[in-house]
Amino acid sequence: MQTNRSVLNVSQLSVDIEGRERRRILNEISFTLEADTVLGIIGQSGSGKTVLSRALVNWLRPPLRISGGSILFKGVDLATVNETAMQQLRGREIAYIGSDPANALDPTLPIGRQIAEKLMSVENDLARDAADRRVLQMLDAVRIPSSRQRFHEFPFQFSGGMMQRVMIVDALITNPAFLVADNITQPLDVTIAAQILRLLKELQRDFRTSTVFVSSALGVVAEIADRVIVLAHGEVVEQQGMHGLLDRPTHEYTRRLISEMPKIWGEEPLPTAVETPASETVLSVRDVSKTYSERDRNRFFVWNHIQAVRGVSFDVFRGENLGIIGESGCGKSTLSRLLGRVEAPDTGQIEFLGKDIAHMGRRQLLGLRKKFQLLLQDPFNAIPPHLTIGRTIAEPLYIQGGTSSVEVEKRVRATMIEVGLQEDLYDLLPVGLSAGQRQRVNIARAMVLDPELLILDETLSALDQVEQAKLIELFGDIQKRRGITYIYISHDLSLVRRVCNRIAVMYLGRVVELASNTDIFFNPQHPYTRALLSAVPAIEERRYLPETYLMEGEPPSPINIPAGCSFRSRCPLPIEICASVDPKLSATPSDGYAACHLITPIAQSTINS
Amino acid sequence: MFALNFLLRRIVQGIVIIGLVTLLIFTLLRVVPGDPVRIMLGPMVAPSVMEQVATELGLRDPIPVQFGRYMLQVMKGDLGHSFIRNAQGGSTGGSRGGETFDLQNRAKVSELIANTIPYSILLAALAILFTVLISFPLGFVAGVYSGKWPDRLSLYVSSVLVSLPNVWLGIVLILLLSAWGGILPAIGYNGPSYAILPALVLAIELAPVMIRSIAVSVANSLQENYVSVGEVRGIKRRRMITHHVLRNASIPLLNLFGIQVIGMLLGSLFVVEYIFNYPGVGLLMINAVFQRDFPIIQAIAMLSSAVLVCVNILVDLAATNIDRRLQY
Repeated sequence: MQTNRSVLNVSQLSVDIEGRERRRILNEISFTLEADTVLGIIGQSGSGKTVLSRALVNWLRPPLRISGGSILFKGVDLATVNETAMQQLRGREIAYIGSDPANALDPTLPIGRQIAEKLMSVENDLARDAADRRVLQMLDAVRIPSSRQRFHEFPFQFSGGMMQRVMIVDALITNPAFLVADNITQPLDVTIAAQILRLLKELQRDFRTSTVFVSSALGVVAEIADRVIVLAHGEVVEQQGMHGLLDRPTHEYTRRLISEMPKIWGEEPLPTAVETPASETVLSVRDVSKTYSERDRNRFFVWNHIQAVRGVSFDVFRGENLGIIGESGCGKSTLSRLLGRVEAPDTGQIEFLGKDIAHMGRRQLLGLRKKFQLLLQDPFNAIPPHLTIGRTIAEPLYIQGGTSSVEVEKRVRATMIEVGLQEDLYDLLPVGLSAGQRQRVNIARAMVLDPELLILDETLSALDQVEQAKLIELFGDIQKRRGITYIYISHDLSLVRRVCNRIAVMYLGRVVELASNTDIFFNPQHPYTRALLSAVPAIEERRYLPETYLMEGEPPSPINIPAGCSFRSRCPLPIEICASVDPKLSATPSDGYAACHLITPIAQSTINS
Repeated sequence: MFALNFLLRRIVQGIVIIGLVTLLIFTLLRVVPGDPVRIMLGPMVAPSVMEQVATELGLRDPIPVQFGRYMLQVMKGDLGHSFIRNAQGGSTGGSRGGETFDLQNRAKVSELIANTIPYSILLAALAILFTVLISFPLGFVAGVYSGKWPDRLSLYVSSVLVSLPNVWLGIVLILLLSAWGGILPAIGYNGPSYAILPALVLAIELAPVMIRSIAVSVANSLQENYVSVGEVRGIKRRRMITHHVLRNASIPLLNLFGIQVIGMLLGSLFVVEYIFNYPGVGLLMINAVFQRDFPIIQAIAMLSSAVLVCVNILVDLAATNIDRRLQY
């Protein structure tokens, strides 16, 4: 059975969860990992892929237990080997990278120290300075900038993407025979995830590490894997080459997985997203900025100023869906706090229905809040656990006052029906509600005031595809009925592609491009928009290739923003002027706006004029 | 640079805190009933003499004036003179009666404190040592085997210890170890061995809190993701615990140590010294309270808050050095 070419032979592997009753999590999994290849394992959440990846390195904790089968690695059965022998293999021959790089290392020690510690405990006779040298070499190999300095920095000083690079260094520094990468790109932004994926591909080629790559995103696995295993309900339902799987899926589950992949260019947006809305302005944002201050640890009485939002301007028209997209740290959450008037901007105006809410007093604001509501991502912490659902939804009516309790109950019940909550939930506590139902409670609580504008800050991000689709439909229905306006703030390109009329792309606190749905996806003007599109994990053909548009590096720190164009450091097409002059948001030939020197402005007009 | 910035800010804050505590105690002492002049001069003195002495001592001035005068003195390094005690000896009781009381020849508070403080430092250090010896092994084992029998054992032990009142415990220990057993000396001070029993009482009072905190803090640190990731990275569990878990667990412990233990020590130390008639600052303080000896009470209160402030600054400085994410 075992050939020279195979590194890992898994046969009939089963894992049970032991409790009052035994339940099978993985059932008789068999596969072979060939040397110097990448084996992808794909499955939706709950399919058992994380359990499998942990079982492969014999890292299951009670109540999980391997109940049968074998994992042959170099003649050793990892499923039955004792803990001491396993400890010898882990870290040296077998490496594992998880999906939570931020919490993978001791937060109180420098990362270089910790990698060297691992190296020295795996290779006992290694001297400390030799270990340090090897760590530095590897940090350079994964292209961590100024590695010598970063060696001495602490985990919290690293961004998610940089920390994942650190963990790749940690895993590959002993040149292991095989590597398990468990959902390593999941917490990262698309452009960063694409960089990590590219890096891992290169390193895999250079180090000839046989890799098991586990992910729930088919688009990600398609990028890197040679062969794929499809996992469903703890069983292997399909196993074949990557291309064969995409072209000729044999199992029903795989076909459904492929068809459920959100598509960007193939899929038509919802009809509401393309209809031209009426041109009455609901919200007008003019040159809004917000800066936060934080004490600088290394200098005397110096405060760092974090420029979260830097001069953002746009209009929102009645009945439209405006999308605001960008990666983490681009300022979109701060912007949503400003638009929802949770915080006041430092400068600029936010005119809602012709009134400037940026500098409005508390009392006046309270009255106006009826008309605009903010919905957030986390459906769990937003609902008080000790109030009945009906009471929770009624809360804004009581805050606004002036409604009799009979009327309140009538309106709450009507709203519950409208958002698809069963009326008998009225007197129940929110215990045991699903994420989708909870999000509906949040929606009902906002809708009960009959607002004209809803700001949705990643409201659908915590939900699975099916629930997300249902809520998108619900938002569409409400819009048709009430003529409501939505602002979708999201990092999910396929979501805004489906629902938004116009889309603003944010980078480092600025809007860098604002254009119609079609233009953003088919004719983007700003190089950052193209980089974003090139990085989306997709199984369809890309319009913009990462080789052309996706540069190395991360956004500059919002504390010290360099002069000139802030995207310059990652731009594939920088020109001389970019280093000195910050481009303004200007009209593009295709009726949109972009902040880039490469675009010949048809008129020297900015959105302000 | 950060450390300097930090120290400067914290010392300024500390001085403000000490100033406020001093003002509070100063005011309260003068508001509560009981005229110290009556105690100084005894019951037989005529009211006119009393008034004269009180005026001489400045006790009839408005409180803000008295406080201002006192603070000026303190800034010059003068903590004032005892109301009651004479410069020569008489360390325990206050001498009453006009004949023996000499207004001009009263003991300096700074000298009284300087004479007693070494004993208190010895007692406190010994108490902390005992506390660590008792609570560290118990708490550590309980934390590592969280939920198993060592954890439950340490919970029982600390539950028992926490419910022993120190006054009662002191008397029982004196009875058992000193009166009946004859192993340890108990009352007064005549060599360092006299500090062992009171230190034991203090340690038993402090240990339960420490045991539980160490156990919880070690158990929580063990739950952190990086600990189990460390195992799959190839670092042995033993090394993870000794090099990483203990380091991380020490941060909440340091804070607890700073606030609770030192605070309790300052409170209980006084009581325990009184029980054992141990000649430290605590005994001085308690006698001073009984005798309305304002300058002594005042100075020791100020000293206590200064110790508390200093210890907290040191603890926070240590914590920020261990975990660089912390900012105070």
